[in-house]
Amino acid sequence: MVHFSLMDAYRLGVGHIRRRFQRTAINVASIALANSFLTSLALTDLFYQTYSILEGGGLGIDAYQYWLVTVALVVSVVGITNAMLIAVYERTREIGTMKCIGALDQHILILFLVEAVIQGAAGGVIGYLLGVLAALFSAGFTTGFDIIIKVDALELVTYFAGTTALSITLSILASLYPAWRASKLPPVEALRYEL
Amino acid sequence: MSYDTVIELRKLIRHYQMGDETVRALDGVDLNIERGEYVSIVGPSGSGKTTLFNLIGGLDKPTEGNVFIDGVDISQLDAYELAWIRCRKIGYIFQSFNLIQVLSALENVALPTVFAGTPNSEGIKKASKLLEMVGLKDRIHHRPGELSAGQQQRVAIARALANDPAIILADEPTGNLDLNTGMEIIDLLHGLNKSQGLTLVAATHDTKMIKASDRIVWMRDGQIERMERS
Repeated sequence: MVHFSLMDAYRLGVGHIRRRFQRTAINVASIALANSFLTSLALTDLFYQTYSILEGGGLGIDAYQYWLVTVALVVSVVGITNAMLIAVYERTREIGTMKCIGALDQHILILFLVEAVIQGAAGGVIGYLLGVLAALFSAGFTTGFDIIIKVDALELVTYFAGTTALSITLSILASLYPAWRASKLPPVEALRYEL
Repeated sequence: MSYDTVIELRKLIRHYQMGDETVRALDGVDLNIERGEYVSIVGPSGSGKTTLFNLIGGLDKPTEGNVFIDGVDISQLDAYELAWIRCRKIGYIFQSFNLIQVLSALENVALPTVFAGTPNSEGIKKASKLLEMVGLKDRIHHRPGELSAGQQQRVAIARALANDPAIILADEPTGNLDLNTGMEIIDLLHGLNKSQGLTLVAATHDTKMIKASDRIVWMRDGQIERMERS
């Protein structure tokens, strides 16, 4: 049985991310933007609702805006898939070398997916923080900026957990095809590959 | 020292289909290599050296014929078992070193032990011992980009030894090195072959490397043209 600890994959993943910081940054930014859009809508809604309960009135978010969020999330997924495919091409020789020294398909798969998780988590957290600011900015003038301490803190935590989990999931989904392609590269051709 | 056969090639044929044309990369090769032997494979480009290497190394499957490594016919193995053979039985050394750029020398050498499932601390210990053996004790935390070509090839040699393979396959290991560095690498490989009884199979054009070997196999047009003991 061949073991491959997640810790090893994590160390390799971090190495790649450091080395190719720009591309990673673009991926993270793409997730962060989509997530901040989602978070800001959800929290604006939450702020309005809290305000309505406390002060009365019927403030809310238009339903069509959730469509826009969906579009933003899809665009982000497509962007990550594209960037990950380029990363696979760039690393073809490296993948060939790894297979040559004994890596299994599943090792290569895990390697790319661990990177996807790291990117998704980073994008999720950054996106949430941006989203909180954006929601405060859009609702604050009506509800007062102290709405942030009036809302149920548990709701904020729940949204944080939910949107971060969604970001990680989308990042993994977006990377599945590129990671699968990388894992299936035949070692002989991969070794011969010149970029 | 008692010799036994570690690599046995029987009527090995590998044909590729290129459009309508069949390329006879290997056309009936029979070869036995004994444990502890140092064999140079020599021949012009296109003579089938690389194909032969890929077949011995479990990277490719023959069209016909058999490849026995330590008595196991690897042409019958599936992808999973081939990866196991590549991991434990064979150490690769490439012309262009092929180190993983994002990892330190130490991590590069430890990587095959990771794939083999060796516990991390053990792998690291093994890797630092090997790096010391190839004379890079004070360079273990350097990245490949921070090392000279000769030092990178030493790291690659240490990596090839990480899982105690039976066979070292070296494809033009001095091809990207200057004369003196090339000599050092030859001496290192030759020393390992003699002191540790490692079987060393090298494809090369380097006359110094050829001179150091026990046997020279000349290839032409996918066949063994002649063999020579030195």
